[in-house]
Amino acid sequence: MSAIEAAEILVFPGLLFLIVLAFFYEWVDRKFFARVQNRCGPLFAGPAGLFQPFADFVKLISKEDIVPAACDKILFDATPIFYFALPLTALFLVPIATQSALIAFDGDLIFMMFIFALIVITVFLAGWSSMNRFSIIGAVRAALQMLSYEIPLALAMIGPALAAGSLSISAIAQWQSSHASWGLWLQPIGFGTAIICMLAELEFVPFDIPEAETEIVAGWRTEFSGRKLALFKLGRDFELVLASALITSLFLGGAQQVGIIPPIIMFLLKTIPVILLFSFLRSIFARLRIDQMTSGMWKYLVPIAILQLLLILLGIGK
Amino acid sequence: MGYASTIKVPFGPQHPALKEPESFIFEVEGDTVVNVTARLGYVHRGVEKAFERRSYVQNLYLAERICGICSHAHTTCYVQAIEELLNIDPPPRAKYIRTIIAELERLHSHSLWVGVAAHEAGFDTLFMYTWRDREEVMELLEAISGNRVHYAMNTLGGVRRDMPAETFPTVKKHLDSFEKRVNEYSHIMKTEQTFLKRTTGVGILKPEDAVSTCAVGPNLRASGIKEDVRADEPYAAYGETPFQVIVHGGGDVLCRALVRIEEMTESINIIRYALDHIPDGPVRIRTPVAVPAGEAVSRVEAPRGELIHYAKSNGTTKPERYKVRAPTLANIPSLAKTLIGAHLADVPLILAGIDPCFSCMDRMVFVDQNRDKQWVWNMEELKRHAKVERN
Amino acid sequence: MAKEAFEQLFRKPATTKYPLQKASVPAGFRGRPVWDMKKCIGCSLCQNNCPSGAIELVGKGMECEIKYFLDRCVFCSQCVEVCPRAAIVMSTEFELAGFDRSKMLYWYKRSGEVL
Repeated sequence: MSAIEAAEILVFPGLLFLIVLAFFYEWVDRKFFARVQNRCGPLFAGPAGLFQPFADFVKLISKEDIVPAACDKILFDATPIFYFALPLTALFLVPIATQSALIAFDGDLIFMMFIFALIVITVFLAGWSSMNRFSIIGAVRAALQMLSYEIPLALAMIGPALAAGSLSISAIAQWQSSHASWGLWLQPIGFGTAIICMLAELEFVPFDIPEAETEIVAGWRTEFSGRKLALFKLGRDFELVLASALITSLFLGGAQQVGIIPPIIMFLLKTIPVILLFSFLRSIFARLRIDQMTSGMWKYLVPIAILQLLLILLGIGK
Repeated sequence: MGYASTIKVPFGPQHPALKEPESFIFEVEGDTVVNVTARLGYVHRGVEKAFERRSYVQNLYLAERICGICSHAHTTCYVQAIEELLNIDPPPRAKYIRTIIAELERLHSHSLWVGVAAHEAGFDTLFMYTWRDREEVMELLEAISGNRVHYAMNTLGGVRRDMPAETFPTVKKHLDSFEKRVNEYSHIMKTEQTFLKRTTGVGILKPEDAVSTCAVGPNLRASGIKEDVRADEPYAAYGETPFQVIVHGGGDVLCRALVRIEEMTESINIIRYALDHIPDGPVRIRTPVAVPAGEAVSRVEAPRGELIHYAKSNGTTKPERYKVRAPTLANIPSLAKTLIGAHLADVPLILAGIDPCFSCMDRMVFVDQNRDKQWVWNMEELKRHAKVERN
Repeated sequence: MAKEAFEQLFRKPATTKYPLQKASVPAGFRGRPVWDMKKCIGCSLCQNNCPSGAIELVGKGMECEIKYFLDRCVFCSQCVEVCPRAAIVMSTEFELAGFDRSKMLYWYKRSGEVL
């Protein structure tokens, strides 16, 4: 591998850039959420609180790492690392700074869904290995939640693939730009379904059931502290970047050059409104119960996603 | 080794759902609660013993600090009990001022509850909004009484501070803007689908269960029973101010929320009427220092329900025995009926639905059912049990 | 709810940036009580009526000195009410927290106050 490729993977738009982007997007989310609630949000760490997520990360790393005596040590140590690494891997499949992603192959959309499933399995194992009542309840709820949103999400994501005629995320993004038609107005139902299912995948309200703070303390994350919790928080920020980047690539045209504006700027311009949309939806709803969520997903969202597919098969939205 | 089909989930003494420590152990099968074990007493402070060691004037402030949110209700109840022993009647202006402060306290307590209930349901935005608007009531109370909680307005024979008529327009202006916010929250609670899903049909308390478990306050009125100490046994100026007792028949958490929100509107109307009709005159009368021997019971409608104080005096400057029955203690048995059969996710909402104020309610009494005896510890036994070392 | 939430974005945050912004208290606020030793007659009514034992008289009558324990005071202003010479006034000081218990004693001597 050449030096340029190594720099791309490690620095830009690879590891270092993604970490900075993750912290930045967490700041955007927290600030917007606070402003909707008429509060200030992060304020003092850095200009307008920009360094607050990084400060939180550093603080967590410096804290004591308490390991419960009864836990399954191998899984307890391994799950934070997997939770951090899996969204990072998935981000290499999404075009960020170039028209085509760093790793693009036909079928990487299916690989992306596979990584989503692996993330949820990691969450389940994290809660299960903690040997804590609250963690076990949170882990079981996370698994149940995945069973509910997985199908509509997959169906919604297949829509743009059918329109573009390819299963590669980069190819779908390029098709949208070359045909000047975004998935947003070709398949609005699919877009709405994808947004709702992404909220469930990110565990945002109304679907933050696995880590409901007032019911089960911190759900599957209860027993983690110190470095492990820092990795979990960073993994969650990576998931935020991944969710917005995926929505952008599939429905909003992805990172593409427009005139002289480089792809990375277009990427930022498109993902930040998606993050704001997630934050706004997070602030206007209450938390649902797990049985209400599963029944709502299966009764309403799956038929709507199937309806979208039928429309595509009939020729509308291609 | 077989697996148990139920797991025991502890809620407390420390838990994010409880704002004050009490221990509830739930046996959960899957997602349904099959049994509840409640263990109380984590906030026992020996308040009743402390009453016996202080003079009647000092006890005013001790009574206030039994609770922070319903502090005025405790002082009003105390002052009414001692005034009954002294056989004096405070001047009418003092009674109106007591009513105004009591209703302002009900406003800030209920808006605190709306925020807490929203937070338990995961609805953080409503929590932030209600607590922001509650600041308006707190600042009003600070301007009237000198402090945001623990107003220290009541004294034996009346109130300590007057409310000059120049302050009335400001009070009314703040009440008008607060009323707009209350209507907004009422609208949100009735129309926000996710919130309705979490609260409708949750924690239903049937009317016969409410009566048999002696529920009080908004919990009782949300099960369709029309009982309110302000209307049944009017004290202070409630006999002269017209108001409605809000009752809803559903018995679930949504009805309790609606009862409290509509009570807020009623409180605003009571305050407006009291401000318009407050009589002139003195605000306090002098009282003797020593209280004649006797017993007195007084009841007050605190924001959480019926509050009872019992005072026994033996003619000296200190009470002989004082007993406080806080409303939350009366609502705890109804929890046993509403919690069993609920989803685990509903438990925080049902717990928040009774508006728990555990700090108010912890008392200690020994009961021997076989020999039909009741006794309390004296101070030495209490200290020995608590292993207090004072230098 | 969505409309209300959206409107909040265009309003200034409701947070008071204390302590960078000073908090204002109204005139009748019950802060720390202050003794005027020129008026005090040493009747010890304030000591007897204090609910928490925060006031101690040292000596008797016109030569007495007042020890006020800030860490026991509940700011009820009963001492203000009961003083026959109005020698006590509630100030509006409320930023009274500290790390050192020994600094919480205000000893009012007849000459001037000593901490």
